[in-house]
Formats: sequence, C-alpha cells, structure tokens
Amino acid sequence: MGLSSVTTGSDATKFCIFDLRRGQHEGEELDKILFFYPADLPFSTQLSVIGLSEGLITFTRGILMFFYEAEPDVWMVMIVEKSKESEAIWRIDALRRVLKEVHSLFMMFHGSIRALLDKEPSGGLLRSHLYTFIMDYLSDFLVGKKLQLPNFRDSLKERGTVQMLTIGREAAIEVQSLVRVLESCAGNTSCYSLILFQDLLVSTTLSAEDTINLFTYAVLRLSPRALSSGLSSWSYLRKGNVSSHAATGSVSANSGAVLDQFYRSSGGDPSYHIARPLQQDKWTKGKDGFLVSDIWKAEAGSSAAITPTIWLQKTEERVFLCTFQHRNLTLILLFPVISLLNEEQGISLVKQQVLENVSLSVLVIKYV
Amino acid sequence: MFPKASSSQSSTGFSGSGALSHVYIRYPPLRCAIPEARGLFYDDGNKLLFSPTSDQVISWKTSPFSPLATPASDSVCEGPVLSIRYSIDAKVLAIQRSNYEIQFWNRETGYTFSQKCKSDSESILGFFWTDCPTCDIVFVKTSGLDLFFLDSELKSLHLVETKRFNVSWYVYTHESRLVLLASGMQCKSFTGYQLSASGIIRLPRFEMAMAKSEANNKPVLAAEDVHVVTVYGRIYCLQVDKVAMLLNSYRFYRDAVVQQGSLPIFSSKIAVSVVDNVLLVHQVDAKVVILYDIFSDSRAPISAPLPLLLRGFPRSITASSQSSSRNAEGSEAIDLSDTEAIIYGDGWTFLVPDLICDAANGLLWKIHLDLEAGIFPDYFLVFMMTPVILEVNAYLSLQAISASSSEVPSVLEFLQRRKLEAHKAKQLCLAMSRTIILERRPVSMVAWAIDILVTSYSYSIKTGSYLKEMKAEKRSPSGVPQVNSPSTIADDSASRVDAYGKSVKHESASGVHNESMNKFSTFSGSDSGDNVTIEPLKTSSGDLYSLGGNVESKILMGAEVPSDTVQSGLQSQLLGLGNNLLNSNVTNHQESQFTSAAVSPDEIYSFVFAPVEEEMAGDSSYMVSIIIEFLRSVNSEKIKVHPNLYVLTIQLLARNERYAELGLFVINKILEPSKEVALQLLESGRQNIQTRKLGLAMLRQLSLHHDYVVLLVQDGYYLEALRYARKNKVNLVRPSLFLEAAYASNDPQHVAAVLRFFSDFIPGFKSTSDHNSYCRILTEMNSSIAA
Repeated sequence: MGLSSVTTGSDATKFCIFDLRRGQHEGEELDKILFFYPADLPFSTQLSVIGLSEGLITFTRGILMFFYEAEPDVWMVMIVEKSKESEAIWRIDALRRVLKEVHSLFMMFHGSIRALLDKEPSGGLLRSHLYTFIMDYLSDFLVGKKLQLPNFRDSLKERGTVQMLTIGREAAIEVQSLVRVLESCAGNTSCYSLILFQDLLVSTTLSAEDTINLFTYAVLRLSPRALSSGLSSWSYLRKGNVSSHAATGSVSANSGAVLDQFYRSSGGDPSYHIARPLQQDKWTKGKDGFLVSDIWKAEAGSSAAITPTIWLQKTEERVFLCTFQHRNLTLILLFPVISLLNEEQGISLVKQQVLENVSLSVLVIKYV
Repeated sequence: MFPKASSSQSSTGFSGSGALSHVYIRYPPLRCAIPEARGLFYDDGNKLLFSPTSDQVISWKTSPFSPLATPASDSVCEGPVLSIRYSIDAKVLAIQRSNYEIQFWNRETGYTFSQKCKSDSESILGFFWTDCPTCDIVFVKTSGLDLFFLDSELKSLHLVETKRFNVSWYVYTHESRLVLLASGMQCKSFTGYQLSASGIIRLPRFEMAMAKSEANNKPVLAAEDVHVVTVYGRIYCLQVDKVAMLLNSYRFYRDAVVQQGSLPIFSSKIAVSVVDNVLLVHQVDAKVVILYDIFSDSRAPISAPLPLLLRGFPRSITASSQSSSRNAEGSEAIDLSDTEAIIYGDGWTFLVPDLICDAANGLLWKIHLDLEAGIFPDYFLVFMMTPVILEVNAYLSLQAISASSSEVPSVLEFLQRRKLEAHKAKQLCLAMSRTIILERRPVSMVAWAIDILVTSYSYSIKTGSYLKEMKAEKRSPSGVPQVNSPSTIADDSASRVDAYGKSVKHESASGVHNESMNKFSTFSGSDSGDNVTIEPLKTSSGDLYSLGGNVESKILMGAEVPSDTVQSGLQSQLLGLGNNLLNSNVTNHQESQFTSAAVSPDEIYSFVFAPVEEEMAGDSSYMVSIIIEFLRSVNSEKIKVHPNLYVLTIQLLARNERYAELGLFVINKILEPSKEVALQLLESGRQNIQTRKLGLAMLRQLSLHHDYVVLLVQDGYYLEALRYARKNKVNLVRPSLFLEAAYASNDPQHVAAVLRFFSDFIPGFKSTSDHNSYCRILTEMNSSIAA
C-alpha cells in the first residue's frame, strides 16, 4: 500500500506525531495518534499512514537505507549501520552521493545498465560487469574482509565534488594556453582535456558532470599519488601511516579473493572479457610520460593492450582516454573515437604531437 | 585581404611587361634642367640640389620632396665648379673651384674668400661641413683630413687639426656623419671617422674583402662600389665585390667594424637606396631591384626582384591607367621624351638615401615603396622572362621556401617597423591578422603574429611614439642655430670624389631665402618630433633597436636640445660584442603624422576579433584559443584590455555551452571583473544558473549594489533585494519597481512589507503618489481576500 493510494484530498502533504508505546492492543490503534494533519482525513487512512511508517521504522532500526534510482526502474540501494557521529545528516547525503558516483563511473566506462541489458537480455554480461566494477570500487574501502566506509569528516564530503587548485591570473592564462595546445594535438577534431596538479583540478573543458566523473577516476587511479602508492588518494588514506600502507597491501590481496568468491557464488561468468578500469595497481607511467595499463584488451584472451575509451554524458560520444604525466601534473586528453580511422596508429600520432608540443609548456606550467 | 591586395595591383611596368612592383617612382619628377647649367650637384647636408650657371647657383629643396619645388638662386663669381655645399647654418656657400682651391661666399654680406692647398704635393678630393663642436668644415685631401673652424665674422678659416694619411678616394654621408678614407694598392684599406655633434670618433682601420680573379690580377676597389647606408639608426657599409658577385656588408661600432655577411648580386653595377629603413639594392644591369630588411639578421630578401616602376605617367600603357589615375597628381604635365623615360638609364645617379637624379635630362625622382604590393615572398612572379631574372628568382625561391613557415610573422614584423607609411602598414597588419584567423592558420602561428603586434605596441608605448601619433607634436623652430637642430641631421648624401668624378657632386650651400629656411626647419622640426624615439641626438651610442632584451631607455637633455623636446635615447648593450654602437642620427622624412604602425589591443579587438568573429560564426573554440593567446601576450606586456574582449569570450564559450570552462575563466580572473563582464555573465547565464550566479557575485564584488538590487528584483527576489539595499546603503531611486514586483506576487503581506520599508527608510515617501496608490491597492487586495 503506497502513500499515493491513501491520498484522497488535493493536499498530499501529511504531518503526524505518534507514540509507538501506545495503542499496542487490537482496537486501540487510534490511541497512538497524537497529532495528524489534515485532521479531517478518515481514521482508517490516518492509521494506514501510521502503520506504514511504523513498519519502516522498525525495519530500519539501527541501519540506514539509501535508495537511488540510477536509471528508470533501476534502483541502487545501500544499507549501512547508523552512525553516532554528529554529522550523521551530512553523512547520509554523502553516502547517497556514493551511490551516484558508482553509477556515474560505471556509465563512463561501460555505458548504461539498461543498454547492457538490451545488448544481452539474459543479464549475464551486465552482472559480470557490475560485479567486477563495483567490487573493484569497494575494494578501496575493504579492511580485511569488512567494508568500512569512511566517516564524513575524513573524506566522504569530498565525494561528488571537485577540488580546485587556486592559481593566479597569469598562471591561469598559461594553463589555458596549454589546454589549447593540448587539444590541438588531435588535429581538427573537437577534443576535451582535464588537467590536474597532484589531486587538484587545474583546468577542464568538459561539462560539469563529466568533469566530476573523470576527476574522480583520475584521483582514484591516475594521479601521481595513486600510481606511486597503489592507493587511491582520498584524504582519509593520505592520513594513513606506513603500517596502514602495509596493511592495505593485504587488502588488495583479500579483495581479489573476495572477488573470486563472488564470481563463484554469484554466477559471474569468467568467459566474458571484462575490462576492470577500477582494478588497483594497473596503471603505470611509461617511459614517454604516458600512462599505460593492460586493463583494456583488444579481445578476450589477447595480450595486446589498447587505449581505453570512455563515454561522455554531456555529448553522448565515446572518446579515447589518453593520459600524460609530468611530475605532479597530469594531462588528460580526450578525443572522439570516430575521429581516427586507424586507431592505434592514430593514437600514437596524437601522443607524438602531445610530446612535441606540450613538453615545453609543461615545464613552464610546473611553476604554478 | 593582403593576397588580394597584391594580386589586384595592376600597375604596369615601364617596359610594358605588366609587372607588379614594390618600388616605384612617381610622375612627375622634379625638373631641374636649366639652360647653360654646368651639371647637377647634391648637398646632402642641406638636402639641396644645385645647378650652377656661369654667374649664379640655382637650388631646389629636395626634402620634403615636391615636383613643384621652386628654385632659389645665389649670385656667385664665374669659375669652374667641382662641388657646392652650404654650411650647416646656411650662411656660407662653399664652392670647390679646383683640386687646390675652395671658395667661400658669405650670403648676407657677399664677402668672399678662398682657401687653398699649401703644398703642390697634395690636392683636395672634396669637403663637407659638419656639426662637430670643434670644427665647421673638413677638407679631404690626398694627404689626409684638414679640420677647420670658421671665424665668427665668417671671414676666414682656421686650421684646428690635421690628420695625415694617404687617401685615394673617400666616401661621406651626412646622414651617418661618417667619412671613409680608402688607401692602399687595391683601395681596400679603410680609415674612418665619425664627426658628429658629440665629437670625433676614430674607427679602427679595417680591410674590405676582395676576391681575386686571377693570381696576379688584383682588382681595385672604386668609390662607386662602396655605399654607406643608415638603417634603423645603424650604420652599414655595403661593398660590391665584382669578382665574387657579392655585396659584402659591414656594420660599424664605436670600436669595431664587423663584417655581417654577404648578399648575392646579379649585376656588376649596383646602386643602393634606403626607403623607410628598407634597403633597396638596385641591380642596375638587370634593371630590377631587390628589397632587404636588414633589421633581422636574415639575409633573405623580403621581395622578389621586380622592376622599378614609373607610376602616374599619363602616357603609359592603358593597363596601368587605373592605378595611375589613383596616383596621378594631375595630367597636365609635359610628357617625358623617350630618352627620359628609360628606367635605370645611363644618366641615373642614386642619391642617398632615396633619390634618383637623371643628370642627363635634369630630372629628380624620389623612390617610393609600395607596402601592399610584392613584399610577400610567396607571391613570386614567374612571367618575367629575362634570363637574369629567372636566375635571381630561382635563387630567391629557395630562400622563400625556407622562410615560409615564418612568413606571416616576419612580414608583420617588417610592417611594424615601417614609419614612412605607418598608417598603411598598420592597416595591412590588421588585414593580415584578420586573414590568418579566417584562414584558420595554426594557433601557434597566429599567437606568434599577435605577439609581434603586442610587443610592438608595448614598445611604442614605452617610447611614446604611439602617443605621438595621437597628437602631432608642435615644435617651434625658434631660431635654434641650425648647427644643433635635428633638422640638419637628417640630411645625407654620399659624396664620392675620385678620379672618376661624376657630374653630380654633393655640395653644401645655404638655403635660398631666410623665409624658406624657416619653413624648412619647421618641416624638420616636425620630423624630429616624430622621431623623438630614435633620435639620440648627440650621443654616439644610441641604438633604438637593440638586439638584446635589455633596452635601457634614458632621457637625454642635451644642452643643444630645445627644451620643449624630450629626446629619449635608448642605449643598448650589444649582444656578445662589448662595443658601443656607432650611431647615426637618423631622421625619417615623414609624410604622415603616423609615426608608428603599432596596433593597440583595443584596435585588435575592434578591427580583428570583432569583424572576424562575425564572419566565423559557428566554431568558437578556435577563436577562444586565439583570444587566450592574445591575453597571454597582452598580460606579459602588462597592458590592459577593454572589457569588450572579455564579453566576446563569454559569448563564445556560452555559445558552445562550455559553461564549466567559462566558470574557470571567471574564477581564475582570466576574464577580469567589470560591469560589462558581469552583465554578460548574467545574460549568458539565462541558460546556466551557475554562470548567472557568477555574474551576480561579480556585481557584488564590484560593489555595483544598485545593479545587483535591480537584478534581484527582476528575478523576483524583491524582499532579499530590500534587505541587501538596506545593508549596503543603496539609494533606491525607484520604489515603484519593488512595489510592482510585490504586487505581482499577489500577496498583500508582501506589498505591505515593501510599503513599510519605503515608508521607514525613504524620507518623504509617504507623500509620493506611489505610496498613495499602493496603499489603495493594498486595501483592495485585503478586501478581496476577505471576501
């Protein structure tokens, strides 16, 4: 019984106060109600509203449930223990953003859940994708075999936001100039770029949503810190001392085991070739300054790595993800897949251009 | 635009070959043929052309050049004339009568005296007047230099100093104040002096390079093969090596002479002119001229070799009539005879810097440069079929290809250095900038071009020439002694006296009448006003265009300098060389009040970005890239730009919905805050709330409270607007605005609140019609609700 069916009048807003200790016995239910607006609602309706609320309260006692309709009729739900910390309210909001973040990142690499279902209605493909992707995502939070979500003060509030580097006007102009040079490297096609200094955003030409997604991924897996420590660089992990680093090593191992277990128990089919963009320790910096990874393969069983592609929400186009790193500076160049006829050859050409045109500017920029 | 300009140039070559030309002489010439004349003489010190007859000397002013210049005359005794020059104050006329006697003529009193060689073993090669403080006139003799000063009564010469050398021949230009004395078997050993107002500088002795043709056959350097030119305030010597077919160049420093490299030549007879600091090398036998801009160290010519053109000639071929009608100053002139019309005729003598004297026909031409035509190396003409030209073209094409990547920027640099037709150069720069953007050349290339314009503007601001352009400076000649006036410094000629003396000698003689002298100095005065940046009047180490980045500018207030003129000299340390530059005192002859082709950022906006943006509607990211490069360039020169440019940037970004970027631009203050910018953000923010918020924040930040409040009201936040107005003490001029907004909300409480606010805080509000009418409205609203 939903609330909507209860609603009889034009005013859907209801407001009530009740006491669970009262009206425990059959026939005394009305005793619970201390206040009800609108007061002229039939008692039966008032009771059904109270009853539904009571059920929800009992069911979620000690836990928090988050619902997020990621795509029409596709729901994501997260249930966590209630926290006693004072920022609980903000934590709820932040945890809801975690759901959104997982979905956005998934969409960025694999497209929408609905599209994958349409592609293979049995759902096997989608499940494999979801299991690997979300487990990789959650592995950042695994301590031992237990998921431990960060508390609000540590890092949760940063979810779904972008941290900017504050720079002066002159540096900003230099950066913008570099951006144009960078984006001209792929010829005349319309390119996008994202520039980070350490874990801070310096410049973007993407839309706000795409910026947040790519920024999140970069901080998780591509930033110099993420590369060197094999850790995502959310601040709560940054605070970790040496011993916790050592501990995290085992976490990765554990998560692998957990994942295997999931594979076996949940019917994930290993025969699908699933790219795992969130897999840890998979990105390394090549000699030429470009980041490389063997996550993406030309086809299942092939050992040849290919350049990854991602979906942009705003323009709904698929773009190559090309990352160049120089010291603390990370340059991400995105150019449309359709712009290249011969993909790998074209990409190496673009990379060549980046090296030729950008290196010098990077040297200038690094003083920002 | 510029390629069209050059290709649509349909001027016709004199030979009828239908060629373009970048260099032309304009009909009519100055006619200076006098019956019974005994040749033509040029006095570069005073820029006068002389034609002596048996008992008088006729003179024409050549600067500013006018075909209608009226001749003046001085009566003199009869006798042979080898050369004539007025003193620099124009009071005394000196005539070389023979190679042992020079006669002097006081133009006011008519007093005459002569100065002769003392010894039979020496002879006078020539003489020149000088503004050097220690002497007034210098005799160049086979035995060396004699420096004299003229006594105050102008009645006799007194020997100051003698410098002993063997001299075969000499070259002097007043423009450079430099005399080069040739000696030795091959006449290739040189001693030089600069006798300028700052004193006498002796140059180190040096040898010129001469290739040998055969083992025992040593060529002898002749005076006509050595040219002293002054370009951008630097003094160069150009020497023709007929065996190697090279034009060797040497640059003079105070304590060194440095060979600069060589230019190829395609004719054994070479003449050299300088127009607006562009070096013109006339390949006389080939009848073409090649242009070089030797400011840059590149030896590449800036043009294809093209013939010298006669424009405006009424009888010329029809194809040229269109362009000639443009240039013609009137067609009433007498036709030139066939012999007169021969370009590079045998009778031509090239006078430094930019005159051609046709002694045989008694004509004087001034050389002009056409900036629009032919200065672009990739527009070579292939239809000129003489073998020599083909050879020349083949050589130059290679050069052009190697230089093609930097072609547009280097042309811009060239144009920015133009002073003679600065306005035209500026228009060309703007047109080129538009073109390269419309053609969507690579951003790096456009950025380079923009850098050139911005740097040039910044430079012109620092030196003040850009402001000078705005208000033509007035300077009274005020009877400043000519010796020290900048006007005289401008003058220049090459005098070569040797065994092969020519019919045109360079002479000094006083201006014709006092009246005309005054006029003359007025012109010169304005010249120097225009040139104030270049003119290190009496310093010997000024060089405006330094190679290094360390341009130290200092203001010289020499005693001789009229106090109303600030002469700013720029001293530069020469890269590498520790030498002081030997300066020349350059004055260009201005034809327009524009002295600088510099383009201000506002002009770049108005004449490049705004029109180009209109034409390029659609793709804005390229434009944004260009604007960023422009901002970078402008920022590095610490120049402000007009908010219009920022407004345009916002429009461009918003058009492509690049709001995230736009936000970055605002947050990082790449777009500097201003009311215009804020309003555009609000406008563009209609589609994007974040952008609108940035606009509102900017209004607040700029303390534009009134605009902010009005905007809040427009958005319906009239109560918040009132709170803000109260807090920031904004004077609200139109209470009705708020009342209307409150009334529109259909809530009597809001109307009451707003009414109350104004009643409380605006004195006298209760007696206004607004108060009365809204009180009535409020009552009606309340009653209707109650009902």
